[in-house]
Amino acid sequence: MDLIRHLDCFVAVAEESHFGRAAARLGMAQPPLSQRIKRLEAELGVRLFERTSRQVTITKAGVLLLDDARDLLARSEALRATARRIRDGESGLLRAALPPDIAGESVAAILADFERHCPGVELELRELSTARQLDAFAARELDVGLIHHPCDVTGLGLGPVLHREMGVLLARDAPAAELDEVPLAALAGHGLVLFPRADAPALHDEVLTTCARGGYTPSALRHGQGASFIRGLILSAGAVAFSPKDTRPADDATDVVWRPLAGAPLTLRHTVAWPEGRGDAAVAAFADAAARALRSAAPAAAEAPPPPMHLRPDAEYWP
Amino acid sequence: MTGAVGRIQAAFTDAGVTGRLHALDIDSGAEIDAGGNRPVVTASVHKLCLLVALHERAAAGQLDLTEQVECPADGRTAGPTGLAAMLDPVRISVRDLAHLMMSVSDNAAADLLLDRVGIDAVNATTDRLGLAATRMSHTFGGLFATVKEDAGPLGARALTDPHVLTRLRALDPAHSNRSTPRDLTGLLRAIWRDEACPPPHGAAIRRLLGLQVWPHRLASGFPFDDVHVAGKTGSLPTVRSEAGVVEYPDGGRYAVAVFTRAANPAATLPQADAAIGTAARIAVDALRARG
Repeated sequence: MDLIRHLDCFVAVAEESHFGRAAARLGMAQPPLSQRIKRLEAELGVRLFERTSRQVTITKAGVLLLDDARDLLARSEALRATARRIRDGESGLLRAALPPDIAGESVAAILADFERHCPGVELELRELSTARQLDAFAARELDVGLIHHPCDVTGLGLGPVLHREMGVLLARDAPAAELDEVPLAALAGHGLVLFPRADAPALHDEVLTTCARGGYTPSALRHGQGASFIRGLILSAGAVAFSPKDTRPADDATDVVWRPLAGAPLTLRHTVAWPEGRGDAAVAAFADAAARALRSAAPAAAEAPPPPMHLRPDAEYWP
Repeated sequence: MTGAVGRIQAAFTDAGVTGRLHALDIDSGAEIDAGGNRPVVTASVHKLCLLVALHERAAAGQLDLTEQVECPADGRTAGPTGLAAMLDPVRISVRDLAHLMMSVSDNAAADLLLDRVGIDAVNATTDRLGLAATRMSHTFGGLFATVKEDAGPLGARALTDPHVLTRLRALDPAHSNRSTPRDLTGLLRAIWRDEACPPPHGAAIRRLLGLQVWPHRLASGFPFDDVHVAGKTGSLPTVRSEAGVVEYPDGGRYAVAVFTRAANPAATLPQADAAIGTAARIAVDALRARG
C-alpha cells in the first residue's frame, strides 16, 4: 500500500473530524476516502476512528499514531523537495513573491542580483501580499517570499530583519506639509488611506495602534494601495497616507509631498521567508538579493533598541 | 454545523489570530469541532489537570487539602500574580493554594502543589480519563524559564522579534505541555458530570473554575448576568487560550476550549482576547440551536 497517501487521509480526517470536509480538503470524493481509511486500519491492525451516523471521532489509538503520521508526512514532503532540486540541478525553478509596496527600482535590483548569482535558476516572481504569501507557502505553491511583520511565523524559516522607515504623503497645501518632520498628532483631522486589511491584518492593526499611540485617530479610514488612487484621495479628500522613504515621489513639482515622521514611529519590518526545512541555495540567493536591494534603497538608520514592553498581569508567563 | 465552523474561523481571522476550538454539549454529547484534534500548547490551562490530580489524591486519602504549607520568600516560582508576586513568607492551606492557582493563575502556588502531586501523577490522571493527547513535561516555573532563556538578554522586549518567536520551545507542542481542545472539553465534561472525581471534589473544582478573575476571554462572549462562565486561561507569547464551561439557566451546559495564536506579537491585544469569547459564543449558540 502507498502508506504516505493513506496517512495523508488519516491526518486529514483526524483534523477535520468529518469525512466530507476531509475529502474536500484532499480534493477527492468521500467514498474512496472511507475506503482508504478502512484499508489503513486493516494494514495497521488498529481502529483509528469511531464512526456514528452523525460524526467521526478519533480513537485513543488514532491519537497515539497521529504525531508519528504527521512526522512521516513532513519528512516525505522534505524528501520530495530535495529530490526535485537534485533532479533539476542548477536549472531549477524558484517560485518567489514580493509584496506590492516595493519600489520598482528594488524589484529590478533583486531580479538583476539573483540572475547574477544564480544564472541557471529561473525566477518566477509574483506580486503577492503577505497574507497571500503565507497561504501560498501552506499550499506549497511558493518557495520564497518577502513578507511584512508582524505575521504568524509558525513553520517558517526567516532571513535577517530589514527595516524601511515610513513617512507621510500629504497635500502640499496641508498645514503639516510645512513641517520638516511631521509628528503623528499633527495629522489629526485628516483621513487615512491604508492598504486593505486582508493583505497583512496584523501590520494593518499595528499601524492604527501606532497612530493612536501617537495621538492620531484618523477621521476616516479608506482602503487602497494604487499610487493614483492614493494621490486622488490626498488631493480631493484631504487624506494622508504612509509610504516608505524609498518609494516617495520626487520632491519637486508635485502637489503631493512626502515628509518624514518625527521620531520615526512607523518602520516597516520585512524578512525573506520560506517554508521551514525547505531553504536551499536558490532560496539563500533570493534572500541575499532582497537584503542587498532593500538595504541600498533604504539604508537603515542605526537600529533603535526596541521600546519597553510592559506585560500586564494577565500575561501569566512573565514575572 | 459547517456554517458555525465557518463563522468561527471568520471571527478568528477578523481578530488577527488563527484558532482551534472544540465545544461540547455536556449532556447530549453534540459537538462543534473547528480543529479540535490539533495539538496545542496548554501553558496555564494545564493547571486544570493539576487541580484534578490534586483532588484525586485527596479523594484517595493520600493528601489533606487543609494541611498548611510553608511558602518561604526565597526560591518560589516567579510570576505576575498571587504568591508569585508577593514578597514575604506565607503559610497557607493546600486548598487555598489551589484557589490562587485557579483564580489568578498563580505560578508559585501551582508549583508548590506540583511539588506535592508530581508531574507523573498529573499525567496518570489525564491518562486515566482517556486524554491521550494531553501530556505535562514541564513545571510551570520550568516552562516559563524556557521562554526567558529563548528570549535572551533583551528580555520581554525580544518577544516581538520574529526570529525569537520561531525559536521559542514553549510554543512547540513537542517541547511544551500540550493537549488538544477536544481532550480539554472531555476533561471538563467529566468534571461537570462528577466522573473525574467523586461529588464533593467535583464541586470544589467547579467552584474554583468559577472564581477565575479574568473577564477578557471566554467570559467576554457571554455578557449575560444569568449565564455562568467558569474557566482557566493560558498564555504564552502570541498564544491566548481558555478552556471552560458555560451554563444557561435552562440547564444547558457547554464545555468549550479555544486556543489562539496571534499574528501580532504585541502583549496587549484586546481584540485577540475577545475573539475567544466571540468564537465560543458562536459555538454555544449553534449547539443550543440544535435543541
